[in-house]
Amino acid sequence: MPYLLRKFLILLLTLWVAVTLNFILPRLVPGDPVGAMIARYQGKLDPSAVDALKLAYGLNDQGGLLGQYFAYLGKLLRGDFGRSIGQFPTPVSEIIAQAAPWTIGLIGVCTVLAVVLGSALGLYSAWRRGQPLADALPPLALFLNSMPYFWFALLLLYLLAFKSSVFPLSGGLDPFLTPHSPTWWVSLLRHATLPALTIIVTSAGGWLITMRNNVMGVMSEDYIAFARAKGLSEGRILNRYVLRNALLPSFTAFGMALGFVVGGSILTETVFSYPGLGLQLYNAVTNLDYPLMQAIFLYIALAVLIANFVVDALYALLDPRVRDGKAA
Amino acid sequence: MKGLLTILRRSPRAAFGVGLLAALLLLALLAPLLTPYSPTSQAFGTWLKPGGEHLLGTTALGQDIWSQLVYGARLTLLIGFTAGLVATAIGTALGLSAAYFGGRTDEAINVLINVFLVLPGLPLLIIASAFLRGGGVWSIILVIALTGWAWGARVLRSQALALRNRDFVQAAIVSGERPARIIFAEMLPNLAGLIAAGFFSTALYAVLSEAALAFLGMGDVSQVTWGTMMYWAQARGALLQGAWWWVAAPGLCIALLGTAFALVNFGIDEVTNPRVIHEARATRVLRRNRAAPQAEPALEPPQPLLAIRHLSAGYVTPQGPVRAVRDVTLSVAPGEFLGLAGESGCGKSTLAFAATRLLDAPGVVFDGEARLAGQDLLALNPAELRRVRWKDYSLVFQASMNILNPVLRIREQVYDAMQAHGVQDRGRLEARARELFALVGIREDYLNAYPHQLSGGMKQRVVIAIALALEPKLVVMDEPTTALDVVVQRQILQEIDAVRKRLGISIVFITHDLSLLVEMSDRIAIMYAGEVVEEAPAHELYAQPKHPYTRRLMGAFPPLEGPRERREGIPGRPPSLAQDIPYCPFFERCPNHLPGTCDVFKPARVEVTSGHSVACFLHSPAVKEEAYAAD
Ligand SMILES: Nc1ncnc2c1ncn2[C@@H]1O[C@H](COP(=O)(O)OP(=O)(O)OP(=O)(O)O)[C@@H](O)[C@H]1O
Ligand code: SF4
Ligand SMILES: [Mg+2]
Repeated sequence: MPYLLRKFLILLLTLWVAVTLNFILPRLVPGDPVGAMIARYQGKLDPSAVDALKLAYGLNDQGGLLGQYFAYLGKLLRGDFGRSIGQFPTPVSEIIAQAAPWTIGLIGVCTVLAVVLGSALGLYSAWRRGQPLADALPPLALFLNSMPYFWFALLLLYLLAFKSSVFPLSGGLDPFLTPHSPTWWVSLLRHATLPALTIIVTSAGGWLITMRNNVMGVMSEDYIAFARAKGLSEGRILNRYVLRNALLPSFTAFGMALGFVVGGSILTETVFSYPGLGLQLYNAVTNLDYPLMQAIFLYIALAVLIANFVVDALYALLDPRVRDGKAA
Repeated sequence: MKGLLTILRRSPRAAFGVGLLAALLLLALLAPLLTPYSPTSQAFGTWLKPGGEHLLGTTALGQDIWSQLVYGARLTLLIGFTAGLVATAIGTALGLSAAYFGGRTDEAINVLINVFLVLPGLPLLIIASAFLRGGGVWSIILVIALTGWAWGARVLRSQALALRNRDFVQAAIVSGERPARIIFAEMLPNLAGLIAAGFFSTALYAVLSEAALAFLGMGDVSQVTWGTMMYWAQARGALLQGAWWWVAAPGLCIALLGTAFALVNFGIDEVTNPRVIHEARATRVLRRNRAAPQAEPALEPPQPLLAIRHLSAGYVTPQGPVRAVRDVTLSVAPGEFLGLAGESGCGKSTLAFAATRLLDAPGVVFDGEARLAGQDLLALNPAELRRVRWKDYSLVFQASMNILNPVLRIREQVYDAMQAHGVQDRGRLEARARELFALVGIREDYLNAYPHQLSGGMKQRVVIAIALALEPKLVVMDEPTTALDVVVQRQILQEIDAVRKRLGISIVFITHDLSLLVEMSDRIAIMYAGEVVEEAPAHELYAQPKHPYTRRLMGAFPPLEGPRERREGIPGRPPSLAQDIPYCPFFERCPNHLPGTCDVFKPARVEVTSGHSVACFLHSPAVKEEAYAAD
């Protein structure tokens, strides 16, 4: 099967699994989620919200589980995610549309920066093995990579926003600014700095280790010995022989790591009250806003899957063996 | 157990990781000894600063933070280890069954693994625990394990698949052993390192996930873990109160625990996956100070192109040095075809690499010199070496599937050898590339191909073509034709020989195929256990082999003419190259050995007739003084 078609089918399958999990999980809860929500809001819940909820869960459907499932799939296909309970009656899709750009901007930029920075350091650490700095990097990277995201975020917040107010304590923008004016941009960047720093510092270590392992693997290949015997320059060996080959496995690692980075970003957003999907998810979870929660999960899953697919396609472009369907 | 000790001994990083892990475990186990207070008691003043009675101060509710930290280690570690174990068990079971059963089972499991790999873990965790709220610690462990098994399964599956194709597993399958036995007795032990690595990574994932869930207020926040400590610290505004240590301490513990897991992993990988790294540093040369070269007897004309003198080389291993090349002296005249033969493992490749300064660590040159046209290769610095490589000499590597860079077109790999030495003109590069391909008999359109599109034999021919590209004075060929069939082999050798005669280049040709050598070579050197034991013009060696080893070797190969029947091999095995051999290395296998002489003294190689030298007491009584002692 052509490589990309296979990847696409796996994408569809994964999406289906996510959608189905989303359907099954609420039904695994002992008792009914609607009841729990009503209890939690102690009668403060709008009666129309209760109706909307019941509708969302297909609880007023007379059909069996299978009927509910197909009704649910149908709604998803129509892009109908229902209405938020916590922010009733705003449609869930509206909340997502408003929060998503923040998250995509933050995670997108930070992931690219972290990958570039981490991989560059990993390459350095493997290439210059035996030198003090190069050898000190991996343990440091392992430590940074083992820090809980939100913990590092809290420390940054405490030191750089609370103790010395270099950066703002929370939010994504100062209010009342003309969009795209210079002050608006400055405010945007100032608010994004600490969350970005958190994501980059905690995830670059992982890229460093991945890249270092890849480079060491490549440097033990015979084609490197042969390139050296040919008397090629160091620069050429590094670029065309080591880097080109070592980058490839990083692509596979990228997909897996992305989910993890997204997870970490959710926590980061929570700490900095950054107005993205992570914060919305956190609020939804604390408010038992099930429709919003599930929709955000689906949205994140979809975004991660698409990013993965793009990376897979790039991989095929870079590796002639994959193009010919010789390697997975 | 023994494996663990080796890892600790060889990898300081792993040892440090294990130490750290042990310290944290002790913290959990010895909690009651380390603190007099209960972690949940609210009997103390609130917001106390660290110091005095309370090492880390107290919480907003008046609990002792140090007590919470040491008691919290228990549940945190329990969650990490259990979730890690469950996830590893799932991953191992699925990975191994995929590899063992293959076919559709493998396909299905592989798809499952891929699905779980890309499902974003933490968001799924959050959703799942939001619904499973109140399920307590065990539901958290379960959910973490269910979202975290795929990574380990993926790695394990691919390794197990490779393992399944290895001989001993195949043999077990053919002999009809039960699947369970094959999986547990044959495959599992070989994957132990990988499984351990998988466990430590999922344990890290579990600890971080638990902390994240606890921090978001999911899971059971009435329990004391490092995660819930941070939840309460945040909920009570610890940082606003300036009580940063309440947040810092548990987070640091998690980071240290994670680092410990990761370091152990790192160490396992370092030791179970040792690699020969081909790096920029040229072969390490550990020569002792010797008399200046002029003190050596003057070389009689014609001056050799390559002069190897008293070369000792080998490998530095944790068990001590392996001397694979022992005091070898050999020269190659301009235009000469020198054959080098000997059993597998006798040090032919090591000699070739050491003499051309291409031996990678752990390989080293212990002593001696190798001069190419008068220039001591072992004394050159890396930059000088880079200039002479390929221009003055080239080397065709022993058959290898990975000799060409898989992501570059063949054309670029033919070009870059020439470009590195000053040929820049596109037209010239292309013309030369085509010429070379015609020479080794490959169609020119393969210049556009990628290495995986070529057969093994074609790759070998490409490498030969690259070796001849700059018409170096010396080409060393280490079994260059083993992947070729007999007809093609002869054809290529004849081409190479024609080029040699036309350009006057010298060739050192390494092979097991003595009959081929006799046919092609001007001179032949026979190696045994790291030494050259006989050297003679080819026809003379063929007509009158003097060393008993050479005679047996000749006997072990089919004669040039006549039926190609297989002769019996040489019984016995050569001595270990890790030891000193102060006697004739062949005496244990020698049918003619002289007791009391051959096993006590070492024969020196002496010229017995013109151009024919041999190291054997049957031909000369000369005793060789051991020139080296263990370094
Ligand atoms: N990296 C290493 N570490 C330790 N010992 C090594 C290493 N590489 C090779 N050796 C040892 O050095 C000896 C010589 O190896 P070498 O590759 O030179 O043999 P060879 O004559 O080329 O054999 P073959 O005909 O099989 O290619 C062998 O006994 C081998 O065990
Ligand atoms: S020296 Fe003795 S043992 Fe060695 S080859 Fe000659 S006869 Fe045999
Ligand atoms: Mg060899």
